[in-house]
Amino acid sequence: MGKNKKKKEFVITLCDGTACIHNGSKEIKSGIEKQLEKHGISESVRIILSGCLGMCDKGPVLIVNPGYTIYGRVTEKDIPEIIESHIIGGKAVSRLVIDEDHLYNRFFRVFGDVGFFGRQMRITLRNCGIIDPENIDDYISLRGYEAIAKVLSDMKPGEVIEEVKHSGLRGRGGAGFPTGLKWEFTAGQKSDEKYVICNADEGDPGAFMDRSAIEGDPHTVIEGMIIGGYAVGSSKGIIYIRAEYPLAIKRLEKAIKDSRRNGFLGENIFGSDFSFDIEIRLGAGAFVCGEETALIHSIEGSRGMPRPRPPYPSVNGLFGKPTLINNVETWANIPVIILDGADWFRKVGTEKSKGTKVFALAGKVKNTGLVEVPMGTTLREIIFDIGGGIENGKKFKAVQTGGPSGGCLPEKYLDTPIDYESLAKAGSIMGSGGMIVIDEDSCMVGIAKFFLEFTQNESCGKCTPCREGTKRMLEILTRITEGKGEEGDVEKLERLGNLIKKASLCGLGQSAPNPVLSTILNFREEYEEHIKDKKCRAGECRSLIGYEINSKCVGCGACKRVCPVGAISGTPKNPHFIDKAKCVKCGQCYEVCKFGAIDKK
Amino acid sequence: MVKPLDIIRKKRAEAINRIVGKGYLSTKRVYVGMATCEIAAGSKKVMEVFKEAVNKGLTDVYLSQKGCAGRCNLEPTVEVIEEGKIPVKYGKINEERAREIIEKHLKGGKTIEEWIIK
Repeated sequence: MGKNKKKKEFVITLCDGTACIHNGSKEIKSGIEKQLEKHGISESVRIILSGCLGMCDKGPVLIVNPGYTIYGRVTEKDIPEIIESHIIGGKAVSRLVIDEDHLYNRFFRVFGDVGFFGRQMRITLRNCGIIDPENIDDYISLRGYEAIAKVLSDMKPGEVIEEVKHSGLRGRGGAGFPTGLKWEFTAGQKSDEKYVICNADEGDPGAFMDRSAIEGDPHTVIEGMIIGGYAVGSSKGIIYIRAEYPLAIKRLEKAIKDSRRNGFLGENIFGSDFSFDIEIRLGAGAFVCGEETALIHSIEGSRGMPRPRPPYPSVNGLFGKPTLINNVETWANIPVIILDGADWFRKVGTEKSKGTKVFALAGKVKNTGLVEVPMGTTLREIIFDIGGGIENGKKFKAVQTGGPSGGCLPEKYLDTPIDYESLAKAGSIMGSGGMIVIDEDSCMVGIAKFFLEFTQNESCGKCTPCREGTKRMLEILTRITEGKGEEGDVEKLERLGNLIKKASLCGLGQSAPNPVLSTILNFREEYEEHIKDKKCRAGECRSLIGYEINSKCVGCGACKRVCPVGAISGTPKNPHFIDKAKCVKCGQCYEVCKFGAIDKK
Repeated sequence: MVKPLDIIRKKRAEAINRIVGKGYLSTKRVYVGMATCEIAAGSKKVMEVFKEAVNKGLTDVYLSQKGCAGRCNLEPTVEVIEEGKIPVKYGKINEERAREIIEKHLKGGKTIEEWIIK
């Protein structure tokens, strides 16, 4: 295509959700391709397949951009008309256009044509990346604060709770407790004072969902909390966020101020008799403070340590009062449930897990980033379709979900539809949404050790199983990676791990052994190799590898020059030699050799 | 009592008015990613380049910051949105590339294909 007479370009998004496939979206795709070829315009139209677009009852659904024209109940016979009239003639086929205006649609007007985004469904992150988070006008213009207005106009607190219950929303912090039930318990308590808390104490290594959500769209969290306050009868909200997120805090502070000025927060909201205000409390960054009872202690000014439950915070929470605690992502769902309706929300997701989940996709994957997909999407779709597969053509080995409380899932689980139950069944957890992709170059024992180091370090020390148990497990893991593993170590890890899970006081201890137990379950042979053969197949455990120069050596001397300890000897143009007694296994010779003459064993 | 829904409708109209007053209806809207991750990748300097251009007389452009859309390894990101066209999303933008976007795309009307996120 010549640059001068550039044709108008289109992107056609075709829903590739299960319902649409069932209704014939595959045939439609080939139909479109045929038509484009027939007219010789394949070059200027890009077809992308999206994940479920949440319009299943109107499927198959097809969206034409620019213009964001949504066609519903499209059949193969309609394709020629759409191509000729819309793509070539510039006129939409009005009899097929459906009027669907959900809050999440706006994101796709901007980003829908990018494969990475087009396959996602952005409900909680609907405004992230398309509005100025520091300008309340931007939020209001996209139906911001309409949900709380609707609630105050037409709904009694009990009706709001019913709506949230009916939506099937479950806590996005990790445990997946039904949100509506939590609200109902808190509402049912009689008390002069109640509290609403937003848990923004995001601490998993590699997770940044909550930070991005707050930095990109702080008002949606605030609006969700106001609705929560109205539903349970509270007038005081607290956002507990770690001090390590200065920009998120700054934007929240501005958002709260702007919201107050507009009469959305404070006394007599919207002129009603409902009053509610929010303050921010900063956490010092202890992982355990993400646990709700520890978080409450921290706000009260005590040391952040958990206590046994029951009583649950909904009965006896902050300062002994009934307290409703939800995670950032959970709160961000609330305005959508109110405006688009619980009936609509229920359609997204699986039978037991409704709506979407945000994941922070990281590790050895081509496209790293934030991914929000309907529950029920498979790991393969996230890692390969959205994430673009493994970097540098390496082989997929495992995916770690749920952060330090989660587990590593090998290839056989790639086609597992993700929801709370299926991940738990596979030996991992949903957690708050960390997702780290691991390729063949990573040692599974090393990964387990990394996460355990983190939880061991973050253990508050209150209960013995967690404090002592994680320490002992870490000692065993360390000796295995150093080549000092003993027969029976794996069994010891399993016994200890199961004991810690059963006997620990809070979620931190109860889940800390998961990375170790799941890697033993799925990669036991790697543990055995480390212990029996003193070998690390990924070549990551330094103590277990050694370097040798093979016959390909031409005697260039590059390795000798780079060796920091003088372990390499040899004369120019003659094969060199590594003195294993001197070698510190830094690997610099291996990196520098251009002839593949150094073996890592 | 005025219904809260009526109040918010009025407020929305006012908000849209204010945004329009800031030049939202310009031919091109430019959004620069300004979340912690984007800033760490260098987006503050990119924003400065666009701000300077606007201050020095670049017209018919609405400049705004935005949060992170979540395309981590391609940050900083910049979007150029024109009505009736597919929004252009640029990735890995530095100061130099920002200047080029201003010259070629904003002033010249030509997109720079090789930086577009697809």
